[in-house]
Amino acid sequence: MVKEFEKAGFPIVQMCNLIPVAKTVGSNRIVPTISIPYPLGDPGTPKEEQWKLRMNRTKIALDALATDIKEQTIFKVS
Amino acid sequence: MKKAILYINQFFGQIGGEDKADFAPVIREGKVGPAMEFAKNLQADITYTIICGDNFMGSNTDEAVKTILDGLEGKDFDLFLAGPAFQAGRYGVACGTICKAVKEKFNVPVLTSMNVENPGVEMFKSNMLIMEGANIASHMRKDVAAMVKVANKILSGEQVGPATEEGYFPTGRRKEVWLEDKTTAADRMINMLVAKLNGEPFVTELPIPKPDRVPIAPAIKDLKHAKIALVTTGGIVPVDNPDKIQSASATRWGRYDISHTMRLESGVYKTIHAGFDPAAANDDPNVITPVDALQELLKEGYYGSLHPYFYSTVGTGTTQAEAARMANEIVPYLKEDNVDGIIMVST
Amino acid sequence: MKLEIGNFYVKDITFGKELKFDNGVLTINKEEALAFIKEDERITEADLYIAKPGDKIRMCPVKEAVEPRVRLDGRGLFPGYEGELVRAGEGTLHAMKNCSVLVVGRHWGGFQDGVIDMSGEGQKYTYFGGLNNIVLVADTNEEFEKREQQKKNDALRHAAHRLAEFVGKCVKDLKPEDTESYELEPAIKRDPKTEKLPSVVFVMQPQTQMEDMGYNTLAYGWDMNHMLPTYMNPNEVLDGAIVSGSFMPVAAKWSTYDYQNCPAIKALYREHGKTINFLGIIMSNLNVALDQKERSAIYVAQIANSLGADGAVVAEEGYGNPDADYVGCIVALEDAGVKTVGLSDECTGRDGMSQPLVTLDEKCDALVSCGDVSDLLVLPAMETVLGELEALGRDGMAGGWAGDEILGPSVREDGSIIMENNSMFCGDQVLGWSTKTMKAF
Repeated sequence: MVKEFEKAGFPIVQMCNLIPVAKTVGSNRIVPTISIPYPLGDPGTPKEEQWKLRMNRTKIALDALATDIKEQTIFKVS
Repeated sequence: MKKAILYINQFFGQIGGEDKADFAPVIREGKVGPAMEFAKNLQADITYTIICGDNFMGSNTDEAVKTILDGLEGKDFDLFLAGPAFQAGRYGVACGTICKAVKEKFNVPVLTSMNVENPGVEMFKSNMLIMEGANIASHMRKDVAAMVKVANKILSGEQVGPATEEGYFPTGRRKEVWLEDKTTAADRMINMLVAKLNGEPFVTELPIPKPDRVPIAPAIKDLKHAKIALVTTGGIVPVDNPDKIQSASATRWGRYDISHTMRLESGVYKTIHAGFDPAAANDDPNVITPVDALQELLKEGYYGSLHPYFYSTVGTGTTQAEAARMANEIVPYLKEDNVDGIIMVST
Repeated sequence: MKLEIGNFYVKDITFGKELKFDNGVLTINKEEALAFIKEDERITEADLYIAKPGDKIRMCPVKEAVEPRVRLDGRGLFPGYEGELVRAGEGTLHAMKNCSVLVVGRHWGGFQDGVIDMSGEGQKYTYFGGLNNIVLVADTNEEFEKREQQKKNDALRHAAHRLAEFVGKCVKDLKPEDTESYELEPAIKRDPKTEKLPSVVFVMQPQTQMEDMGYNTLAYGWDMNHMLPTYMNPNEVLDGAIVSGSFMPVAAKWSTYDYQNCPAIKALYREHGKTINFLGIIMSNLNVALDQKERSAIYVAQIANSLGADGAVVAEEGYGNPDADYVGCIVALEDAGVKTVGLSDECTGRDGMSQPLVTLDEKCDALVSCGDVSDLLVLPAMETVLGELEALGRDGMAGGWAGDEILGPSVREDGSIIMENNSMFCGDQVLGWSTKTMKAF
């Protein structure tokens, strides 16, 4: 799907855990998430921590959309 | 007897050489040139031969295709053949172009033949069967025989076998096959292992294809005024799954209004994705679709605006063709609302 | 570590007065067997059937398959799961060949459950279509998961293992027709001739991706989601140390029967001392998060290097995101200098045009492919259905659907079905039986 959106001219950032999959399917902007069933908030951690993580990764994703890149890029998450 | 129609260029159509390459298409009744060779063993009568100059097809493609399709209207045929085109680039592309058009318009099987070096192979191999042919026309007899062998299978309704066995270029389609000699996977594994360990040749059953890339879309210039859309393949839907999106091998997608939704509440939204443990996402759907974070960041002015809907489907087992179709069905909604960038969350 | 398996070839199964095996005929006292099964109070309803090759029988939803066996030392067949937790892989057991105990849900199915046909076009799609099967059809009081797509099937899976043990007892004191012997000398104490051969490890990646307990493959009763890759003796796998889980689109599943009879292990044993030096098994797992996948791959490659493996075979139970574990593990081994062959199935979609594994890497240059989970099958109605055919469309089974705009429902009014291979019970036979492969068209 990512490729089709990008072909249509939209910058798109894929947030996902399986970076090798995203790389194989040809995503250009990739932001890692923490797992498959809960990409943006580990239920084993307090709600507050989940919220912080989600805000952080979503910001990185938005920043990724506004970042010029020359090649497939995995954006760093702290 | 079944009927077939053959497409050839000006040279094989006995019109002339390079000087006649601008020859406009004609549909001749009966067999011309290579059609005689086909007729020897083809289990169909070649009722018409189409002749078109390679340059005419190359530079007036739309007109050439239209003339031919119009001419075929009302003619009864079970198979459409083109070539063989050998290594002749323009001829190969012409064969591919007309086969594709005929297949789409009349839903009739098509078959052509080209050399591996012919640019028509890369352009059209995913659209039709292209027999792997020789580089020069002196191999006409062999290439036609190969086409006839497959053509007769198509005509009789017999399954056309795998690419390497039948001699055509793989179309990109992979399907399972029962091995006639019933060699088990365990024995195939041992054979491959021992060969690999001893540096002997072996053939993998899953050749790794070269990656396919799309050009990188330019970045959003001004995030503060950008409109962002949220898409997920994690199967987050309203609890009653109103669009009946399948939990695997999805062919459906849905879009759900979040313009007044500050966060996705548990019990209101859930995931229907069958490929992972759904507990966490059902307990807090925002862990897959971060509507809460996007609304907060919107309030903070981190970005301009949020597209009023999020889009959802299920990624597991979904074919690339279906995924591409769904994406292309979503695109117009995003264009209409002047979306500047997309966040896709995958599970 | 020596394991001897005495084989008893089952030619027929009947119900009768007493449990016995005589001249190839297995006789079961149905009431007695059912009473034994119902000792587990979770079983609310149970009946027993016989399904033999050629019978016009369809089973759905099938949950587990186990070979009936008995240990001559009297210990349980599945240490840590049913019976005392002791080491497996040594001693003597008796096994009933060409025979399996199947357990089928009376009503409810799910993603992890499958279909078996005993005749017709569908028969060849599962290994069990060619076996003489003792079929337990039962329901349980596990209300919490009745409508869940992912089921633990705990009571029914235990019932299958218990019934296999119950039936197997009848050959304890009999003389087997033939005996297989499996002995792997310690890895560093092999004869010089064997040591000159290229050494090979078998890396198994059983399905362990459920974070909630009760669904995953078990090693000595231990949920393998909570395990890092470890070294195992192949005899342990053949002798019941590994029990199949309940979380996987079922065509890619490895049942307990598959572990007990693992053809890949037997093939490696057969070549041991002839073409290879079989070092043993690195038992890995399948994970959800990328760091977990990578950690397992690191462990596997490290153990392979530490053992001095020249080569490896990696087998994956599953498709989709586990492909990342599979490809990642092969790449880690290749990067560590271990020449590796892969064993898996593919998912190319109904049109056959999709990428066969979700991740690909050119270092995977020697792959054996056992089938396509998305292959579409249309199968005629059967005279008898054991279980509830509606489950295929109703309960979110991996290859079935309730309705489809083009294909209609999976379960048709006349009893014929249309489904993806995805729902064939252990259909792709990745542990080595598969006579299917994938080809480019």
